[in-house]
Amino acid sequence: MQVADQAAALPARRASAWERLLASDHLAGWGFTSPAMILIAVFGVAPIAWSVVLSFQRNNLLSGGTWIGFRNYERLMHDPVFAHSVRITVLYTVLFVPISIVLSLAVAVALNRKLWFIRLYRTAIFLPVVASTVAEAILFNWLLDPYFGIVNVALVKLGLPAQSFFQDPSQALFCIVAMTVWGWLGFCVIIYLAALQGIPRELIEAAEIDGATHWRSFQRVQLPLLGPTTLFLVIYLSINALQLFDEIYVTTWGGPLGATTVVVYYLYEQAFQFFEAGYATAIAYVLFLGILALTVVQLLLGRRFVHYRS
Amino acid sequence: MTEPLDKPFTDPAGPGGFPGLDSLEAEIAAAGRRRPSAWHLFLAPTAAIMAFPFVWMLVTSVSTLAETRRFPPQLPHAIQWHNFVDAWTMAPFDRWLLNTTVVAIASVAGNLVFCSLAGYALARLRFIGSNVAFLVILATLMVPFQVVMIPTLLIVRSMGLIDSLGALIVPNLVTPFGIFLLRQFFKTLPVEIEEAARIDGASRVGTLVKVVLPQMKAPLATVAIMTLLWAWNDFLWPLIVIQSPDQMTLPLGLSTFQGAHFTNWPVLMAGTLMSQLPMLVVFVVAQRWFVQSLSVSSGIKG
Amino acid sequence: MSRQRFSAFGAVSLLTVAFVLATVLASGCGGSSTSTTSSPAAAASLPAPGGGGSVVLWHGYTDVERTATDAFVAKYNATNPGFTMKAVFAGNNDYALQKLLTALAAGKAPDISYQYGSSMANLATSPKVVDLGPLMSRSPGFDWNDFFPAERLATTVNGKVIGVPALVDNLALVYNKALFDKAGIPYPTKDWTWTDFRDAAKKLTDPATKQFGWAYVNDGSEDTVWRFLAVLWQAGGDLLNTDNTKAALDSPAGLKAMQLLYDMAVTDKSVYLDKGDGNYLNLFNSGKIAMLWTGPWDLSSINQDVQYGVEILPADVSHATIAGPDNYVVLDNGPQQVANAWAFIQWFCSPDIHLQYAIATGHLPIRKSETKLPAYQEFLAKYPADEVFVANLDNVTKVRPNVATYPKISSALGQAVQSVLLGRAQPQQALDAASRQIDAILAAGQ
Repeated sequence: MQVADQAAALPARRASAWERLLASDHLAGWGFTSPAMILIAVFGVAPIAWSVVLSFQRNNLLSGGTWIGFRNYERLMHDPVFAHSVRITVLYTVLFVPISIVLSLAVAVALNRKLWFIRLYRTAIFLPVVASTVAEAILFNWLLDPYFGIVNVALVKLGLPAQSFFQDPSQALFCIVAMTVWGWLGFCVIIYLAALQGIPRELIEAAEIDGATHWRSFQRVQLPLLGPTTLFLVIYLSINALQLFDEIYVTTWGGPLGATTVVVYYLYEQAFQFFEAGYATAIAYVLFLGILALTVVQLLLGRRFVHYRS
Repeated sequence: MTEPLDKPFTDPAGPGGFPGLDSLEAEIAAAGRRRPSAWHLFLAPTAAIMAFPFVWMLVTSVSTLAETRRFPPQLPHAIQWHNFVDAWTMAPFDRWLLNTTVVAIASVAGNLVFCSLAGYALARLRFIGSNVAFLVILATLMVPFQVVMIPTLLIVRSMGLIDSLGALIVPNLVTPFGIFLLRQFFKTLPVEIEEAARIDGASRVGTLVKVVLPQMKAPLATVAIMTLLWAWNDFLWPLIVIQSPDQMTLPLGLSTFQGAHFTNWPVLMAGTLMSQLPMLVVFVVAQRWFVQSLSVSSGIKG
Repeated sequence: MSRQRFSAFGAVSLLTVAFVLATVLASGCGGSSTSTTSSPAAAASLPAPGGGGSVVLWHGYTDVERTATDAFVAKYNATNPGFTMKAVFAGNNDYALQKLLTALAAGKAPDISYQYGSSMANLATSPKVVDLGPLMSRSPGFDWNDFFPAERLATTVNGKVIGVPALVDNLALVYNKALFDKAGIPYPTKDWTWTDFRDAAKKLTDPATKQFGWAYVNDGSEDTVWRFLAVLWQAGGDLLNTDNTKAALDSPAGLKAMQLLYDMAVTDKSVYLDKGDGNYLNLFNSGKIAMLWTGPWDLSSINQDVQYGVEILPADVSHATIAGPDNYVVLDNGPQQVANAWAFIQWFCSPDIHLQYAIATGHLPIRKSETKLPAYQEFLAKYPADEVFVANLDNVTKVRPNVATYPKISSALGQAVQSVLLGRAQPQQALDAASRQIDAILAAGQ
C-alpha cells in the first residue's frame, strides 16, 4: 500500500498538536454534526429556552406578561387536574408502547417473507400512516358509535352487551389506545422491516442448520440483533406517547368527564382556551423534564442490554 | 470469514429445503414457488383493517354530498368522479401541489444529507460533547409543538421568512428522528469494513459515502419516506406561518373545504386522496430497498 | 478526565448560548406593549381612508359564504380604489383564536379578524384590539343601536366595544315532519311547553329502530354549555349574579333545568348524545332523530328529501333562547390601517349591503332595519325557515357573561352537564359541583 510504503521510507515524525487536532475525531465529529446542531440550536433549543422564560410569567399572550417567579410551578404541584392528566398520560403510554412494539414486530416478521400479495399487504399496512388524522377519527367514531357502530352491532349479534366506547369515561382511553396503535403500526413496521433487511441470511441459516426451530432461531439470532431498533422504537414511541394530543383533539376533546385529558391537551386548554400561556409552558416544562428523565433511563438500560454488532 | 458455497441451502420462508442443490439454483427455484402459507390468515385481516379508512375515503370521494350526510354510511348510487375535478378546479390545487412538492423535496434532501452526517458522527466518531449533543438532539423532541410554535414564529419572522415556503423548509431541514434512527442503524453495521477503508487512506466523508451508506439503503429509505410524509402532511405549522393563499401547502389548502359548520366531504376526501397519491407511489417504489437482497449482505470475503 | 471536563464545558456553553438567545427573544416580543397604542385618544386622530395600502381580513368562511365574501370584497375594491381590501381564508374558525394569538405574539397580526363571541372578554385585554366605540360615535350614519341588543351586549366589555357582528344566530327547534306524521303527533307550536317537548320526544323514540326524539351535543365544550344556558334561561335562571362575582346557578331554576336534561337523557332515554363531530345532522338526514336544537348554519346541510320545520324553543317560564354572535375584531396596525378597516366595516355592515350578503349566504340580518327593507322579502322567499330564526332574535334577552374567566366557567359547567347527561351524577349534585368550581374560578380572577 502506498501510504504504508511512504511511511516506511520516511523517518518517523511526531505530528504536531495542530495536525493532530485537524485529523482528530473531535474536529471531524463537530464538523459532521454542525449543520444539524446549528439548525437544532436555532429551531429546537432556542424556542424551548424562550418558553422556559414564559413559564415564570402570568401571560395571556395579549396584554404582556407579569413576572411571578415559581408560582406557576407551585400551582402545578397542587393542581388535581394536572395530577389526573399525568396519570392518564402514563397509563396511556404504558399501554401504547409495549403493544405497538410487539404487534409491529409480529407484523414485520410476517411481512418479511416472499408470499403472494406481499407488496399489497405492505402497502395496506402502511396506509393509515398516509390517511389523515381526520379520516382516522371519523372512521373510529363510526366504528365505535354506541348506537350505530358496527362493532356494537357485532357484539350484540354475538350475545355480548353493547359498549359505550368513546362515551364511557372508563372505556374512552382504551379506544384511544386502539386508535393510536392502529395509526402508528405502519411506521413501526417499516422500521422493523428495514432492520430485518440488515440481518445477514447466513446467521439465520446457521442457526437452522444446527437444528433450531424457527422460534428458537428467531429468539437467538434475530431478536438480539433487533435490539438497537427496538431501543429506538421504545424511546421514540414513549416520547410521542407522553405528548399525545392530535387524536384527542379530533375525537374526545379530553372527555368524557376528563377521562382522556392528557397532559398536552390540558396544556393546550390552558394556553388557547383559558388564556394562561405562562401556566401552560410551566406544564410543558415539567413534562419535558419527565420525558428527559425517562429517556435517560431508557438509554442507560439500553447501554446495558442492547448489543451492537460492532 | 468465508462460508463454503456448497453447503446445504435452507429457505427460511418455509419448512423443508433443497438439500444438495447449488445455492443459486435454489434461489431461482424458491422464487418461482411461493407456496401458500398460513401467514395469510394473519396478514389478510390485518391488512383489511388497516386499509379500511382509506377505503372509506375512496367511497366518500365518489359520493354526492347528500349521500355523505347520512348515517350509517352507505355505498353511493353512482360514481361521482366530478368530485376529483372539483377538488382540482374549485381552488388552486395545482399551486398547493407545487408548494408542497418543493417543501417536501427540500426537506427530504436536507434530512438525508444532514442526518446521515450527524448520525454517523454520533455513531462512530468519539468526540468531545457527543453525548451532550445526542441528548440535546433528543431533548428537542420532548416539548410539544404548541409550546414552541410562538418563539419559532418569532425566529422565522426575524429571518424574514414569514409567509414563505422558506419558513416551512428551513426549520425542517434536520429532524431528531432522522439523526436518532440513522445513528442506531449505523451502529448495527460491522465496523471492520470502515476501518479497512480508513487504513486504505479514505477520508471519513469518503468512507461514509462510498462504503457505509450503500449498506444503509433501507434505513435511508425509511428516513426519506417519513420525512416526506411529515413535510407533506404538516398542518399546524403552515397554518400559523403562512398567511397568503398562494403560499399554502396541500393540507392547509384542503382545509378550505372544511368549515366549522359545513364540510364538503366528497370534495375534501377527493382532494385528500389526490394529495396522498404521490406518497403512496413513493412508498411502493421504495419497496425494493426493503426486500432482502439475495446476495449475502455483509461479511468480509478473503 | 479531560474529556469529562470538556463535555461539561460543551454543555454549559450550549446552554449559555440558548439562554442569551432566549433573553433576546423574550425581551423583544409579547411582553412589551411599547409599540403603537390604540387607546381611545389615538382613534380621535384617524386619517381619512386611503393611502394605497392593503387591509387584510382573516376569516374561516367556506363554500357559499366564501364565494359571497370574495364577491363583496371585489365589489368594494371596485368602488373604493383608495386602498385594497383582502379577505384571506385563515383556517377553520375553530383555529381562529389560536392563529390570532400566535400572530399577535409574533407581531404580524391582520387588520380584521373573525372571532367567536366567547373570546371577546379576553381579547379586550389586548392593547392591539381597537375600541370601536369612539369610532362609532364619530360616524353618525353607523347607528349602533340598530343592531340587535344581544349583539351589542356580546361585544361590549367594560364599556369598550371591541367587535362588530359578523354573524348572528340563535337556537331554535328544527324537526322532521315525516317522523311526526308517522307517530301521529301534531307539529311543535310557539306555545309549546317543556312538558309538550318531553312527551313528544318520548313518543318519537323507538329503541327497536334506533330512533331518537332529540339530540344533544355532549362533548363537554361550549357547544354543550350554550344549549344548557338556553334551558336555564327558559326556567328563569341565571348563570352568574348581576355583578358577576358569584354563581347563581344553584337555584330552583337551575335545578329544574338540570332535571329536564336528566329526565330526558337518563330516564326517558330519548336523547341521542352527539360526540361533537356533528353526526346528529347525518342521523337527522337519515330519519333517525326527530328534533334538534340548532341554528341556521345547519339548514344548508339538511338533505333535499327531508321535510323539516322550524319553531321557537319550548318554554318553561319563557321561550328564551341564546344567540352566539361571532364578530369582526379590528387590530391596531397603525392609524391608516385602522381608518381603512373601519371604512370597510361601515360599508360591509350597512343595511343594504348586509342584506344583499344575507340573501347570498342565508345569514340572518344583523340590523333591525334590514327587516324593513323591500329586499327582505326576497330573503324570506329564498330562506323561508330563517323567518322563525329572525323572529326568535326577540327571545334573546340574555347573553353569556362577558368575563375574562368565562372559558374556565364554561369548562366547569360543561363537565357538570355532561355528567348529568351520562347519568353519572344527580342534577343537584352536578349543580353543587359546578357552583363551587365557578365560585372558585371567579374568586381566583384573571
